[in-house]
Amino acid sequence: MNSDHKMQQKLRHEAKALLEQDKVDLIIGFEAGSLKFTTTPLITKSKDDLDRLVINPFIVNNLALFLPDFKGRIAVASKGCDSRSIVSLIQDNKVSRDDLVIIGIPCPGMIELRKVEKLTGKDRDELDDIIREGDKVVITVDGKGSEFPIAEVLSDNCLACEFPTPQDYDILLGEPTATSQESRVKSRESRVKGQGSRVQSHGEGGGLQSEASPDSRLQTLKAMSPQQRWEFWRKEFSRCIRCYACRNICPSCFCKRCFVEESEPRWLMPMPRWQENLMFQAIRNIHLAGRCTDCGGCERSCPVNIPLRCLTKEMYDLVDELFHFKAGMDKDAPPLMTHYEQEEAEDLIR
Amino acid sequence: MSIEYRVSSFEEYRGGRREASKLKTQNSKLVRKKDIGSVLHQWSKDYTIFVPCNEGDTAFTVHGSRLTVYGLWDGSDINLDWYRNTVTPPKANFLPPLEEMFRFQKGKEGHSMELPFEPGVWSLESGVPLPQLIFGIRPCDARALSLLDLIFTDAYQDPYYLPRREGAVLVGLVCLNPYDSCFCTSLGIGPGESDDVDLLLTDIGDEFLIEEISDKGKRLMELTAGLKDATEDDTARANEAKEKAYGRVTRKINTEGIKDRLLSAFEDEHYWEKVAAKCIACGICTFLCPTCYCFDISDEMVKKQGARFRCWDSCAFALYTKMPMENPREEKWQRVRQKVCHKFEFYPMTFDVIACTGCGRCIRLCPVNWDITQTLRLLD
Repeated sequence: MNSDHKMQQKLRHEAKALLEQDKVDLIIGFEAGSLKFTTTPLITKSKDDLDRLVINPFIVNNLALFLPDFKGRIAVASKGCDSRSIVSLIQDNKVSRDDLVIIGIPCPGMIELRKVEKLTGKDRDELDDIIREGDKVVITVDGKGSEFPIAEVLSDNCLACEFPTPQDYDILLGEPTATSQESRVKSRESRVKGQGSRVQSHGEGGGLQSEASPDSRLQTLKAMSPQQRWEFWRKEFSRCIRCYACRNICPSCFCKRCFVEESEPRWLMPMPRWQENLMFQAIRNIHLAGRCTDCGGCERSCPVNIPLRCLTKEMYDLVDELFHFKAGMDKDAPPLMTHYEQEEAEDLIR
Repeated sequence: MSIEYRVSSFEEYRGGRREASKLKTQNSKLVRKKDIGSVLHQWSKDYTIFVPCNEGDTAFTVHGSRLTVYGLWDGSDINLDWYRNTVTPPKANFLPPLEEMFRFQKGKEGHSMELPFEPGVWSLESGVPLPQLIFGIRPCDARALSLLDLIFTDAYQDPYYLPRREGAVLVGLVCLNPYDSCFCTSLGIGPGESDDVDLLLTDIGDEFLIEEISDKGKRLMELTAGLKDATEDDTARANEAKEKAYGRVTRKINTEGIKDRLLSAFEDEHYWEKVAAKCIACGICTFLCPTCYCFDISDEMVKKQGARFRCWDSCAFALYTKMPMENPREEKWQRVRQKVCHKFEFYPMTFDVIACTGCGRCIRLCPVNWDITQTLRLLD
């Protein structure tokens, strides 16, 4: 029995108990999706639905997203990044900690289907099976299995993840995910030096070192001249259709009315032109400073493959570098951008 | 003011068109796959050619999965063995995501309007001239265009959509490898449906069988050199491939009485709240739906010069029906209900046809796997 399965059993059990003992009104977790290798949020008040709860390497959505939508007491299944988003929502007064039961999932990282597709040259629905076995993954195509290091198919944001175990929880479904303090320090150092970080995979085997760098794209972008970079983003944002999936999937984008929807004054036209598309994303990114927990949802949901994480991760790193602040770590801390401390570097304003 | 409906039903509308254009006897030809490039060369004298191609798959992006769109044919040989369907539906070639409608200026005597371009030119930036030929369109997407024709010829004749549509040639490609999200066979069509294209190609190994479907298709074929006549054996192989593909579409919905079932569920707030709970209200399923046609109109003015634009809009957005006094669809569940009912209840009421072709994009591309087939199944 693998650890996902154990956690899944425990999750179902705990969720049932919470409803039965009337400790919560609503359960938010994941159930199997309607397509192969997908999951979908399960939002329910009924304990009959709870046997559908799952934990597997495809529970990619950040469920913190749904919390402000519902009233009452909620139990929510939460990975490391989800829990930080929840804390961030608490900091912004969007949800109250007292109303929540956080069921923590020590997260071994999510499998990025687009990487699997690239690796196999097949579409998701043409794959027979994807099975994670510790620090390996076995992908079966046309009845033939091939083994790859798990780091080759994990999401970039999971490879870069510093806190796979939830930071705040009421129930933890398994042992905290092994990430040594050392590797975290190492990844920080290499980032400061401007080189790709050595990655630690968070598999059951633990301690797997991979040469793959989750932030290599960011390094490539940084090495470009401003003109090259401008040209790069012009091309990427020419594809944007302004479906706002990046915004709507993001727990930190909690505004009732987004600036892009304001008409008096009109900040941005609704037309999908690259200049406005880029501007929208730039402003959204600034609003996310100190809120983004690098869950990777925006890039994952983009139907036209715009590498949005190159923007959000840069902001995430800048916030860390300039303010020594990581989003969603302390529910009692004021939100970064609403707060000023005297010792903050004055050279910020240049 | 009462709106006079020119068209009473899809069947009537299409029946008339089909009678005028459908061929009594159908001819079939063969073209070797490696000769497709030379055939496109011949066609490119009269048409601007769009073919399925991959975008956004550079070594730079980690995203390796294919981002397939219709792009301008670059004149090279093409191989479509990898091709399944596009992310952006071909409606974008007729109802572009962004379109300039006209320009205006403010003078001493008030505003004046001008139209310094032909309406119905493909796009603002590329200015690609009419007419276009879409090569490799899937039967579901071709049907979707027939459904869009209804709305753009009904209460008014859309001067931007129709010129593009009337000039265009659709060269269909039978869908031999449908996705697991496809459910076209529940909507009265299938991977080999020929009703909505001018020519239909079937992959039979090293060659494509080309069926002439409409007059337009026949004229095109007459101008094309280098084709062989197909034998009965070739036709049999193509039919077998179509039938096999039909069987590969396993996702189903029950469309019987769906209009009435949705009508009686309309007031069931509990049902709609439940199905809408996980929807994130983004625009993916509507923008990338081949039959969704809603657009928003904006004016943009710099100094005294301005232009009016239209761009795609989505009923999923909270702003969609926001008016100064109220918003009749304030809640997300009301907007989800609108989307489902528009396709499966209101369109059937107006045109006697469901505005869904089962292409599966809304399921495949949804960030939270919101699945319309599951929503409808709850009403069975």
